[in-house]
Amino acid sequence: MIVCVAVVGHQNNPLYIQSFTEADDALKLHHVVHCSLDVVDERVNNPKKSGPMLNETYLGLLYPTENYKVYGYLTNTKVKFILVTTDLDVKDADVRNFFRRFHAAYVDAVSNPFHVPGKKITSRTFAERVSTIVKAFGLSSAG
Amino acid sequence: MSRVVGPRSGDAIFASVERVNAELFTLTYGAIVRQLLTDLEEVDEVNKQLDQMGYNIGIRLIDEFLAKSNVTRCVDFRETAEVIAKVGFKMFLGVTASVTNWDADGTCCSIVLEDNPLVDFVELPDTCQGLYYCNILSGVIRGALEMVSPL
Repeated sequence: MIVCVAVVGHQNNPLYIQSFTEADDALKLHHVVHCSLDVVDERVNNPKKSGPMLNETYLGLLYPTENYKVYGYLTNTKVKFILVTTDLDVKDADVRNFFRRFHAAYVDAVSNPFHVPGKKITSRTFAERVSTIVKAFGLSSAG
Repeated sequence: MSRVVGPRSGDAIFASVERVNAELFTLTYGAIVRQLLTDLEEVDEVNKQLDQMGYNIGIRLIDEFLAKSNVTRCVDFRETAEVIAKVGFKMFLGVTASVTNWDADGTCCSIVLEDNPLVDFVELPDTCQGLYYCNILSGVIRGALEMVSPL
């Protein structure tokens, strides 16, 4: 089950954080997201020379902690998407699919002329789309 | 015998004109509105400016419209509204509008765009709730009709 998604700007400023569970402490999730940013920076600065791996956008499993798994995705504009989930058996393809749809929703939100780049995303449509994508992810991995 | 050319449908004209990327168009219009808001700050002022800009476009656009579409003179206001919605919008924006909400006199109606390319991705923030984002369209219609009105 997805616990939290976050969008972080290129200066590591948070643009959007949404948690999908009331059980866990919101602050703890923010902390988890923040720690994962360090891992992202490390991966970005030391790219693994593993042959023709040109797809630098999807960063994969960043690090497992306690009962969470954290996945990362980097866009060309250095905006990072962080996904925190409690699922134990998450298929890689599912996460990639999730990030692709999330990226599409993000692009639409940013195309709004009233959105200021660098400020928080306040679009209600974006929040709704993210909820839909998260629900779809939950259904696909449970089935 | 000279050939008489009948009025062309909106689809046919739209297919024959040069096109521009829809996203570029949407983003450009969004940038215009944003800049107007920054410069003028008042929502009413921005509405007036958009209307004025549309008016200036409309008085020029009407000639192109008449030249390309070959419509005959409209008999009454109902026909005018239909032509605007079906031929005009189709020709320039590529979308078809519908005319509804006729009042008792037949002097007032609503032209509804189901799928407006100007407003893709746009969400009005709470600070601009009185903004008529597409007011340029009403200006265009006003300008165009003024040039062909019999008065």
